[in-house]
Amino acid sequence: MNNKIYEKPTIQLSRFKWVYILIGLVLLYYIFQLFNYQIVNGEVYRVQAEDNRTMEISDQTQRGKIYDRNGVVLAQNIPAYNITVTPAELPDSEGLTRLIFAELSELIGIPVSNGVVDETVASTFTPCSTDLGIEQIVYIADTNWPFQATRLSCGVSKEIAMAVQEKAMDWPGIGVEIESIRVYPTGNLTAEIVGFLGPVPESMLDYYTELGFVANRDKVGYAGVESTMQDVLGGTNGKRVVEVTVGGEIVRNLEEPIEPIPGQDVYLTIDTRLQSAARDALIMNLDYWNWYLGYTLSTSGSVIAMNVKTGEILAMVSYPNYENNRMTPYIPQYYYTQLTMDQAKPLVNQAISAELPPGSVFKLSSALGVLNEGVVTPEQTVNDPGTISLVQSYLLNDPNPKTLQTYYCWNRDGHGDVDFLHGIAWSCNVYWYKVTGGYEGEVPDGGLGIYRLGEYAKALGYGQLTGIELPGEADGLIPDPTWKRLNQGENWATGDTYLAAVGQGYVLATPLQVLNSISTIANDGKHMQVSLISKMEDALGNVTQSFEPVILWDITKDAKIQEYDGNIPTGVMKTVQPWVIELAKRGMEMVTVEGGTAAIEFEGDTNKVAGKTGTAEYCDDFALANRLCGIGVGGWPAHAWFVGYAPYDDPEIAVVAFAYNGKEGSTLAAPIVRKVIESYFALKAADADNLP
Amino acid sequence: MLNTKDIWKRFDFPLFAAVLFLSIFGVALISSAIAGNPTLANHPQRQTVFLLIGLVILFITAAIDYHIWLSLTRPFYIVVALLLILVFVMGEARFGAARWLQIGTETIQPAELAKIVAIMAFAQYFSAHISQINNWKTVWQSLLLAGGIALWIFLQPDLKTTIVIAVLWFAMLWISGWKTKNVFIFAGIVILLFAVFAALDFPLLADYQRERITNFFNPDPEARYGDTYNVDQALISIGSGGWFGQGYGQGSQVQLRFLKIRHNDFIFSVLAHEFGFVGTVIVLLLLVFVIYRCFAIAAKAPDAYGALLAYGFGILMAFQTLVNVGVNMRLLPVTGLTLPFISYGGSSLVTLLLGIGLVENIHMRTDKKLPAA
Repeated sequence: MNNKIYEKPTIQLSRFKWVYILIGLVLLYYIFQLFNYQIVNGEVYRVQAEDNRTMEISDQTQRGKIYDRNGVVLAQNIPAYNITVTPAELPDSEGLTRLIFAELSELIGIPVSNGVVDETVASTFTPCSTDLGIEQIVYIADTNWPFQATRLSCGVSKEIAMAVQEKAMDWPGIGVEIESIRVYPTGNLTAEIVGFLGPVPESMLDYYTELGFVANRDKVGYAGVESTMQDVLGGTNGKRVVEVTVGGEIVRNLEEPIEPIPGQDVYLTIDTRLQSAARDALIMNLDYWNWYLGYTLSTSGSVIAMNVKTGEILAMVSYPNYENNRMTPYIPQYYYTQLTMDQAKPLVNQAISAELPPGSVFKLSSALGVLNEGVVTPEQTVNDPGTISLVQSYLLNDPNPKTLQTYYCWNRDGHGDVDFLHGIAWSCNVYWYKVTGGYEGEVPDGGLGIYRLGEYAKALGYGQLTGIELPGEADGLIPDPTWKRLNQGENWATGDTYLAAVGQGYVLATPLQVLNSISTIANDGKHMQVSLISKMEDALGNVTQSFEPVILWDITKDAKIQEYDGNIPTGVMKTVQPWVIELAKRGMEMVTVEGGTAAIEFEGDTNKVAGKTGTAEYCDDFALANRLCGIGVGGWPAHAWFVGYAPYDDPEIAVVAFAYNGKEGSTLAAPIVRKVIESYFALKAADADNLP
Repeated sequence: MLNTKDIWKRFDFPLFAAVLFLSIFGVALISSAIAGNPTLANHPQRQTVFLLIGLVILFITAAIDYHIWLSLTRPFYIVVALLLILVFVMGEARFGAARWLQIGTETIQPAELAKIVAIMAFAQYFSAHISQINNWKTVWQSLLLAGGIALWIFLQPDLKTTIVIAVLWFAMLWISGWKTKNVFIFAGIVILLFAVFAALDFPLLADYQRERITNFFNPDPEARYGDTYNVDQALISIGSGGWFGQGYGQGSQVQLRFLKIRHNDFIFSVLAHEFGFVGTVIVLLLLVFVIYRCFAIAAKAPDAYGALLAYGFGILMAFQTLVNVGVNMRLLPVTGLTLPFISYGGSSLVTLLLGIGLVENIHMRTDKKLPAA
């Protein structure tokens, strides 16, 4: 405005400074912000940029296979074919894409268009379990991961997969993905041993993620050997850290890739043929008796066979069980619900998880005790009048004796004078009541007593886990006065000892413990580690671990028995004398011959089977609810047991059979054991013939 | 009158050098921004061709006395207005807006040319009415002049160019001596109108424009893809640049295509990502230098028309630069305004070089011995 030379008016030069100030201030603010972003907070953005470009890819490994001892496949992986679409590779022409979708739709049976994609649908979209049409799936995939193959249809037949494969040139973007799924060729024959797989459980997510497992893709063992051998079978996923473009296209490896390590193959000690024989024997015997009696007596049970000398489990049947092939590739909700609701608990392996009163088979614990402790001599007889009465005393010299209780022998006429061997052979309850619990005038000083009975039972493996390689094993119960006071709020009574002596009352054991105890006696006191695992092999066929028999203890050599002075442990330990075991075995030999409790069932037996019957009265929640628990002898329902081994002069195999609510050990369980032992020797002979 | 030889002696070489450097640097950044995208593959070559065409136009524009251009303002105005109407009527739809005119295989954006023509028209009108500048009649008439082209741009719909023309109109009216009191009165009227407009939920805006406005003021935390994605990635690109950047052609955000529209609206982010704080500040200072030269030349222009022309062009570049950088740094809503000389775009680059030609023209015809006009 000042110093104007020209007369004509011009623009306001003085206002330029405002323009400079405005631009300058904004620019300074921008540079300040730029400094903030790039220098002050640069690290935050660098991490985000790094996050953008790096992707960790887990290359799925192969799960190890499961075989039986002879190499029969029990669990393997087979390819499942999935049809996939990679949106970025579809042709640019919309018409061509539509044509592909139409043809593909006809082949795989998924509609071209179905459903509407909104935010909820898109965020909950799960390939393989969606009703959406091809166009909708492609839309979701194209928006989120255009360079990744997304599954359109899962588990299609090989024929369809081949047909799609042939069209590869005409159908860019459509592919076939081969996924590995678990199948069990032997199905429900071995389901209780092999188990099944399921998705990584929510509760174990951190644990498995740490090990490199990918949730929603990798599966882990849920039951059986699949579960216990998970770490061996599972293998290790490979890992690649790659650089990706915004569309998920892999540019290069950022780190040296780690190759997947396949899981090891596991060989079980099971002989599938014997397993099949055992299962058939159990089912046929139950069916026979249910038919013969005209009503349903028993519908569930278990059978276990083991090698006496090594502890290898040769067969293990828990019936009813389930079909593990139905659990793959996905566990169907309705089937799982059905199994969990079933009263017979088919998902539970009864052979190792059911805690049951062992009944008379438990008398062998008493047997070892009374002889080894010198309570009676083998020849000494005890009178069995059929029933005996006992004044329940809860204390030594109890000043207030309680009610008079009557104890019955299963034979109400009585066995008369009974010695040790006949006590076993006839399974005479009164003999075992008296020698274990004491009886005025016949067995002084309270007999063997509950503490010492417990010592012998535990030496045979009762009341503790066997450590078999299966999940959910139960440890049973060997009660003592302390336990009763704590759990029942009552003092121990002489009658409790009577009941414990015959495997009733509070005593609980699993079928495997019962088998293991008799096997220990058959093996002359050597208590073997029971095992299901024969060997493990890595992917190259190298044996990484093979079964070695392990003697946990030998009751004739290792001092496992605590000596008692009355009810007080002395701290001195002792062994079981071998002649005691010999006599116990002799008693069991007499069970299967003329006069023994299983004589009829073993008539004509050529395999020299020795054993022990058991009829264990019970009143569980189910029985109580169904008003099966009456009063008095025969009032309660009973389980049927038989445990045997053969040949008795050099035992190889021991077998236990258990029938839930089977009533009579001799009729319901013994024939099963006989058949399994016969099958065992028949298979042995056949194998010997087949040897070159 | 100065003779031709003398005229070229007064060519502003530092300005030209800065512009040339920025334009070549732009081609280089566009090359980096291709990042394997086949549809962008030919963009550096195309931008180079536009740069060459633009340079020829720059010299032609500079050679012919701007008073001759002044006399051609009316025909230019009419041609541009007709082109804009043509775009509006038969423009083809892209990204929800019609902005291109197809000529053979090439497309041109008349709106870019409209900016220069608007500056010329405002400069002519305000310089002619500079003594009656505070008459409301002048204001309304110049508004009609602006509306003659802005209306068609607005209807495309192209909000950003409409705003650019509004800003140019105001800035040029203001520098011509519009009284502050009148500015406030006018601003009051505008705010009132805007309030009514906002209350009616922006009835004349296209959906995507309305969305952009709401997105900026009210970002949706749930939005993962799309709406806020571009600006988020731009910020990550800028922030991860550090002092010296990840290196030319080395920026992961650019080369792996996490940054979108990176050859155009978000090329500033490419710059910041690959050249860092130091490189970015240098380029910003160069742009500021170009703007400063425009203002300096305006201040010394021999007449009001020349002064308004150079000043208007400086305002155009300053506004585009500040808005574009502000958008990249998430300080302003996404507008689609490009970074002068650097962003990809033939129409934009040629128009800018044409403008520089005009500014050089004024400088060449300013007598150094004479004091400021």
